[in-house]
Amino acid sequence: MANKYLFLFAQTHEEFRLPEVQSVAELNGFKIDFLSPISELDVSRPFMIFGLENEDHARILARRCILIKSVCEFYARGKTYEELHNANRLNVPKWEKYIEDTSFKFEVSAYNHSIPQKRQREVVENFSYMALLGKIDMKNPEEIFVCVEEYVDKHGMTRHKHEGDGDCREIFFGRLIEEGSARQLVKKFDVKKRSYYGNTSMEAEISLLMANQTLAAPGKLVCDPFVGTGSMAYTTAHFGAWFFGSDIDGRQMRGKDNTPGILRAAEQYDVSKRIIDLMTFDVTRNPWRCGELFDAIITDPPYGVRAGAKRLGRKKPLKSSGSEPPHPDTPRPDDQPYIPPTKPYELSALARDLVLLARYILKPGGRLVFFLPTVTDEYEEVDIQTMLCDGMEVIANSLQDFGSWGRRLITIRKNTSERYPPPSFDAHGGSQPVDDPSVTHVPAHKDFRTKYFQGFRKELE
Amino acid sequence: MVRLITHNLLACHAKNCTSNNFPLQFKDIEIELREAEFNPDFIRGFLPKLEWKALIDAAKQLGDTSLPSEQPEMIDDEFLKNLHHVLLEIHIEEGAMICPNCQHVYPISNGIPNMLLAEHEIG
Repeated sequence: MANKYLFLFAQTHEEFRLPEVQSVAELNGFKIDFLSPISELDVSRPFMIFGLENEDHARILARRCILIKSVCEFYARGKTYEELHNANRLNVPKWEKYIEDTSFKFEVSAYNHSIPQKRQREVVENFSYMALLGKIDMKNPEEIFVCVEEYVDKHGMTRHKHEGDGDCREIFFGRLIEEGSARQLVKKFDVKKRSYYGNTSMEAEISLLMANQTLAAPGKLVCDPFVGTGSMAYTTAHFGAWFFGSDIDGRQMRGKDNTPGILRAAEQYDVSKRIIDLMTFDVTRNPWRCGELFDAIITDPPYGVRAGAKRLGRKKPLKSSGSEPPHPDTPRPDDQPYIPPTKPYELSALARDLVLLARYILKPGGRLVFFLPTVTDEYEEVDIQTMLCDGMEVIANSLQDFGSWGRRLITIRKNTSERYPPPSFDAHGGSQPVDDPSVTHVPAHKDFRTKYFQGFRKELE
Repeated sequence: MVRLITHNLLACHAKNCTSNNFPLQFKDIEIELREAEFNPDFIRGFLPKLEWKALIDAAKQLGDTSLPSEQPEMIDDEFLKNLHHVLLEIHIEEGAMICPNCQHVYPISNGIPNMLLAEHEIG
């Protein structure tokens, strides 16, 4: 039978926790037993108990998952200490090996609360029935026993001075296996300390979570077709993957120096060797010679608030049919280099195109990981379905909530080995049957930019 | 940047340029050699994706003749190391890549190639 492990998660990005542990488990070829249907798990609580085959798997998760604070071998839980101790007594076989001669200490803490020292001591003393004979060692114990009380978030309300400890929601007890060590990467990749970044750079923690969703690892090939200032290049390359970046506008990749800005920042993180190439092109007019090249696509497409997505073409067609578009070789009066015209790329079209491109350019089993902004009041689950096509399956959809809007980190897996032709990026809806819900349903992320600048108000009658 | 692994994956994609559009021809190039980490599994896994002749021709043009003209059946460590060097350690920093068919010039500056198409080259 699988052993049970108690996971303590960081108090942030609730909806990203399960996808992350699932991805890291898949990357390392083991399974997590969630002990109940995933849809019934309460991700809003920072404590979760999962079954794993062995302790090594717990350590792997703690070393790679950004959102794990620590992992313990699970001994007991209870709504009261009485319940907890009763459950713990039934689990003697799990901890009896530590009775005889193991140095130890207890750590008593609380979530959303702090326990006065006096009561911390009382809590520890109440475990005296375990009759641990080893030395108590506060500095270098062989084992640390962890007891955590969970309190309901008071959302910033302070409690009365003499309120005492109030009612805690539940208490958990176990033996510490490993503190999460991947969380410190959030500091390492801090955008403010990066030698090159822009106003659309992705924050470090999310860039790391995205990289984990791609299953980045040595020898994997990952690309970002809207690379911008390269936020996700550094984190995927950090985990060992080779990285290709492209963008329709090369200025963000380059910055002002001769050495492209992305390479300068990559140098800082010692990953520049893994940035295979950076290229300027429109992803809808891409030069890739063949498909099935990449293990993953990781991207944050511009959605129009700070910067809008663009593709080659003219916003309004040239007026008279007779006039030819200007040719790059004809000299320009201002002596400036030729820059082809671009037109806005509407978000819902972009999202559908991205999935089609992914199906062509990803290896079977490869993943597309990207952000989609959504309007909170209007979002429906079917919105995501509108962008799917045969052979592509959504495996995770995690909301980062900003109030009236949010963005969803979508992970889509290519679950087919069938070969598809390169997408044309032109026919939108025209070739699909009319009763197809993806044609009739208008997703809430369509025209996101307009909605954002209207403050998400319903249109006035 | 613009390593030969990338060059081997790029074809001209201008409108109606669908044959003889690969490999792109180098012109007036400046190269730099930079060490990259050797991952034999990655190189081996990438072999089926390569257009061998295009790779050999490009390597020769840049002065590297360490690879056999036919992809060998027996793959040993020395071969993988040579291939690793050709694919990942030669960087084209300046110059251009030109389509052998439509003559479109894709300029490379500071290691970044501009693969954008002109207005008359898109469908």
